[in-house]
Amino acid sequence: MKMRKDLTILIGIYLIFSALPILFHGDLYIMNILIMCLIWGVVAASWDLIMGFAGIFSFAQVAFFIIGAYGSAILTNALGISPWLGLPAGGLITAIIGVLVGLPCLRLKGAYIALVTFAVHMILVPFLKSDAGRAIGTGGPQGILSIAPLKLFGYTYSSMEPVPWFYTTFFISLIALFIIYKIIHSKWGLAFIAVRDSEVFAKSIGINDFKYKLLVFGVSSFLTGMIGALYAHYVGMLSTRMLGLDRFLILMVMLVLGGLGRFPGAVIGALITVFLSELLRPLEVYRLLIFGAMVTILVVAMPQGITGLFFPAGGSSPIARPARFILKKLRG
Amino acid sequence: MIRELIDVLISGITNGSVYAIMAVGMALVYGVTRVFNFAYGSFYSMGGYLAWMFLKVKVGYLFAIILVIPLLFLAGFATEKFAVRPLRERKDWEMMALMATLGLALFLDNLYLVAFGPFVKSLPLILEGQANLGGFVFAFQDILILLIAVSIMIGFMLFLGRTRLGMSVRAVAQNVSGAQIVGVAKDRVFGFTFAISAVLVGSGGILLAPKYFVSPLGGWEILVKAWVITAFGGMGSIKGSLYAAFILGIVEALVGWQFGFTWTLFAWVAILLITLIVRPQGLLGTWG
Repeated sequence: MKMRKDLTILIGIYLIFSALPILFHGDLYIMNILIMCLIWGVVAASWDLIMGFAGIFSFAQVAFFIIGAYGSAILTNALGISPWLGLPAGGLITAIIGVLVGLPCLRLKGAYIALVTFAVHMILVPFLKSDAGRAIGTGGPQGILSIAPLKLFGYTYSSMEPVPWFYTTFFISLIALFIIYKIIHSKWGLAFIAVRDSEVFAKSIGINDFKYKLLVFGVSSFLTGMIGALYAHYVGMLSTRMLGLDRFLILMVMLVLGGLGRFPGAVIGALITVFLSELLRPLEVYRLLIFGAMVTILVVAMPQGITGLFFPAGGSSPIARPARFILKKLRG
Repeated sequence: MIRELIDVLISGITNGSVYAIMAVGMALVYGVTRVFNFAYGSFYSMGGYLAWMFLKVKVGYLFAIILVIPLLFLAGFATEKFAVRPLRERKDWEMMALMATLGLALFLDNLYLVAFGPFVKSLPLILEGQANLGGFVFAFQDILILLIAVSIMIGFMLFLGRTRLGMSVRAVAQNVSGAQIVGVAKDRVFGFTFAISAVLVGSGGILLAPKYFVSPLGGWEILVKAWVITAFGGMGSIKGSLYAAFILGIVEALVGWQFGFTWTLFAWVAILLITLIVRPQGLLGTWG
């Protein structure tokens, strides 16, 4: 069986990644960046699944990530359950909230969805900081200062030994991305493409896009929440600062850079952006200024993102397009 | 009790009048160009910051406002021309326009942060002093805000109803190709709509700045508020936004009085969600 191009690229990236700890296992800084690449790759790809494939303008992605993180942290801290159970539990909580948000949202149109989901993001900060939040264990404005790390066969993960963290994140993210890949190439994925290309026609042949959209919203929130939970246990502390607009902006750069609806573009976008963000860190406040401008410029000038440069849609490359244009001109 | 209630209602109506200007600006852009402008809140801060800059060099309020308005106009026009117009040809342009304006908003907010620092700036009151009418205290500032806001609204309505340009704006809102057939330059109308909306929300920024200060991220709350008002009133319906602004302005004052102002947004979003479940198109909106 011939392997699909997107899966080949994804496996290629992961093969390279699997070998990187051999080079960098002693360097805590680099290892941390690599782990972040894997985590944000999943967040960006599940966002792309909603935005680029299902065509839902959801802006609650960072909020879902944080809900999963807080969910697992609170459960492990308050009930003392194993962090390994916290991961799917965090995902499940996020999926439930995602579906609850999705139920009213998906009946709405375009900009309405963007804003209701964005409002979810906006009201999450005051909620987590409020007394009601403190009551369920969010720690109020302070955040959660200590979260149990993962444990495996008597070994407790530690931030000083990044290699186990790396491979755990590696496998969890690989599973998550494989699920996304499967969805894109399933009946659901086909339904989305049909709805995206011609909504009226798709509906006329009996595609119930609401059902598929709600399902994909749930799955995507689950994956985002689960990786958020992993992030919480990895970093060991949480605060509402994560909900600042800078995270949101960086996530957007990942998606726009990778190209919307071009799996695994978002993963590639995340890898580049995490490194870029580290490289630009010395610029401090100017970094976000650059990222903001980058989003607008990329959307206007390079709508297919980086992946569009190498694998243009419809078989025309950036070189072929101008060439065809000139040929057309010559013919009159 | 009754006295407090009346004070609260007055403050609700004053704020509501400013919200009305801002919500109408958003409804106008959405109704005419079908773009949701995420940079809308950043134009609010832009109005405040520009006024602060001009007041700093002591030109006086009147001149500051005269200088700020053309700048806001230009900023709005440029946004449409460079960030939205190039996208219009594409199939998924609505989502692209959302992303492009969101990028612009984050760019502008960080620009304010770099240029003016993280601390809030305060503008002096436009008019000091207060009047005492039968036991009720009216601050001159509030009366002036209400008067300015209402005159801006009336001026805007006259412009839409009576002038040639206003009529072409309405024509494009109703039917783009129809308007083009009778010779309306749609690109100019789109650009103009963005420009006017930036002026409307920016003036709101100047009017509210003495009360609520100017800060780099202050625009986000305004963006969400303006959106809740427009969605509640009916996206794209100017009349609906007008009613919604006053209703929600009064709700805000009442909720703030009884429970504290942190609960305003929760109350608004709750009202909006209930409205959307019953009437997805908002009070006076239509799908389209």
